[in-house]
Amino acid sequence: MMSGEWVRIWRRFAAMLVKEFKQLGRDRVLLAFILYAFTLDVFLAASGVSLSLSSAVTWVQDFDHSAASRELVGRFQAPYFKVARDFDADRDGQAALDSGTAMILLSLPQGFGRDLAQGRGAELAMQVDTTNSVLGFLAVSHGEQIAARFGIESELARRGASARDEAALPGVDNAMRVWFNPNQNDSWFMGISEMLNIATVFSVLLPAAALVREKERGTVEQLMVSPLSPFGILFPKVVAMTCVIVAGIAVTLFLVLIPLFSIPVKGSLLLFFAASMLYVFTTAGLGLFAATVSQNLAQAGMLSILILSPMLFLSGAWTPAEAMPDWLRWLMYASPLHYYLDIAFGILLKGQGAADLALPLTEMGGIGVLVLALGLSLFRRQFA
Amino acid sequence: MKLQRVSAIAAREWREIVRDRLFFALAFIVPALLMLLFGYGLSLDVENIPFTVVDYDRSALSRDYSWQFIGSRYFKFQGYSDSESEAGRKLTSGQVRMTLVIPERFGHDLEAPGRAAVQTVIDGTFPSRAMTTRGYVEAINADFSRERLARLPVLSGMKGVVLQSRYLYNQNVSSIRSLAPKLIMVVLMLSPPFLTALGIVREKENGSIFNIYSSDISRGEFLLGKLAPYVAISTFNILTLWCFACLLYQVPFKGDFAFFLLASWIYVLCTTGIGLLVSVLVSTQVAAMIVTLVVTMIPSILYSGLIIPIASLGSGARVVAHIVPAMYYADIVVGCFLKGIGPGALWRQLLVLTAYALILFSLGYALFSKRPRT
Repeated sequence: MMSGEWVRIWRRFAAMLVKEFKQLGRDRVLLAFILYAFTLDVFLAASGVSLSLSSAVTWVQDFDHSAASRELVGRFQAPYFKVARDFDADRDGQAALDSGTAMILLSLPQGFGRDLAQGRGAELAMQVDTTNSVLGFLAVSHGEQIAARFGIESELARRGASARDEAALPGVDNAMRVWFNPNQNDSWFMGISEMLNIATVFSVLLPAAALVREKERGTVEQLMVSPLSPFGILFPKVVAMTCVIVAGIAVTLFLVLIPLFSIPVKGSLLLFFAASMLYVFTTAGLGLFAATVSQNLAQAGMLSILILSPMLFLSGAWTPAEAMPDWLRWLMYASPLHYYLDIAFGILLKGQGAADLALPLTEMGGIGVLVLALGLSLFRRQFA
Repeated sequence: MKLQRVSAIAAREWREIVRDRLFFALAFIVPALLMLLFGYGLSLDVENIPFTVVDYDRSALSRDYSWQFIGSRYFKFQGYSDSESEAGRKLTSGQVRMTLVIPERFGHDLEAPGRAAVQTVIDGTFPSRAMTTRGYVEAINADFSRERLARLPVLSGMKGVVLQSRYLYNQNVSSIRSLAPKLIMVVLMLSPPFLTALGIVREKENGSIFNIYSSDISRGEFLLGKLAPYVAISTFNILTLWCFACLLYQVPFKGDFAFFLLASWIYVLCTTGIGLLVSVLVSTQVAAMIVTLVVTMIPSILYSGLIIPIASLGSGARVVAHIVPAMYYADIVVGCFLKGIGPGALWRQLLVLTAYALILFSLGYALFSKRPRT
């Protein structure tokens, strides 16, 4: 008799699944938008952004006009700096910084070359727009290195040291290597993280909306009086949305990221899709949670932004966990995206396998089970 | 157009919003909470980068050199590793993000005196972090080399060239100072369109909009009345967010408050207009939510200069940046807060925003029809 029971459960499940797919398929605008998000939107993010300090626009005020001053200015060059033009009046420079036309003002005082030639040491001034604090810091750090190096070289030349002495100067030569993305290809990072973002947006919103819509229209009452259990109502919704979203991820990966941006898939694709499925499931739990708490879509919508925005921007992709205050870090550990991010980048770029990722995978799964169970019990209490 | 009808619609909408207590509360709580979470969380300062050292030399000098990193606030020492392969494993597992390898003859080579080689490996998964890490490593190496040089007899008493740097607009180079004003931009981009789109599509989806279709209220009267409460809520939120930035994050406000308020208000009109346009185009609330989220959230963070400077954007993304109002408003808030510049320098941005609001509202007006086809 057990098998007859299972067949019935399976039939109900299949019927609900078909219903969910049909409902989704009829919202053409929504479908078109899902397609846009998983293709063009990711393409735009992946192709459009370069994150390094490159060609910081530099204006120069050279009061000295000596060979030395010209040479030093000549050393502020690509890739970090781009000397755009000379200017005379302080006012012009200030205006350029205010309007954002220039990021850096270099100012070499009169007598710069003479002081240097007499071994008295020389100074130059650099004003940096630190509206973007990291870039500002980097610009100053590069500038200091250029100036110091120039000072040492000209001092050596003044004291008549030969080229051989110069090569023998003590110092540290650093061979720097970058792993997992050797060419520092920003499109890999941007492309993958945008794909994860989009998947997250849909994983929270689609199931939440599918449930609240039934509540708002009252069709959930019909479902409750049917032989379906609360689990039998929620589960097919999550499964249907998971299918759509994982298909979306596949489209992004195979039609956009791999062919257009040559993202290397170092690990197993099977593992990646299994992990993605688990992730969508977990995140859908968060959406359902928002849906059970709210009475109508407007409420669910506002709650979803509240869940989504911190998830997306505090996931660790933009801001490392180390830089956050403790209470926020704990909040971050509760977000499934935090783990999925490590998992996805680990599989795709680092080639990590299931054994390496066991910890984040179980943590993510654990959150999923917890959230789904909580959502289910809330839902039950509401209607039973 | 009759003012009386507009106010009747507005009063009705207001009552509906207020009666939905959770929604009403969220309309104010969401922006405040987002400002709080982003303000504390979205710090761009890269500090405490976990790293490990493989010291094959184990000399006094190599220890001294490692201490330049261990003692720096930018790095966080996670213990020595015995071999490069062990360090490599730590890097792959994400335990550390940088490894420093000091070869055997390091101390000897430096004492010679001459050049000593070291090797650093950086985790490049997140390029912006890798770039910053690289900058720190270079700076520490340069400092260390300079210090060794100064001990050289050839260079004794050298003065050298000193770069006097001055940080503008953000003297302590703390990222919250530069972020907080821009967060106002992000939060005002997120919540007003959402409120508006949901408010209008709700009527479409549950059919109550047919009351409007069959009444003699004109399109303009309906839209104005409908939008007014949402604009009012968002206007109040401008003030809340301003207080957050000034009082909680202690960002100095150097500009003209009246100008800031006016610009913010026009910006809110723009973002409300986006919500209006979305709500005219879609017919279900699900679609409204998703479309609004994708058109507002992602551009306002990625293409507004919040995290990535506009100058670093590629051509496609730069086009998006110029289409979305966020970038213009970002110039205004940053100008008002950090730079203390006013309408004299920012009138162009204000003009763009005004034009933007006008275009959105006329589009919404033109596309909203009291005689729907289906």
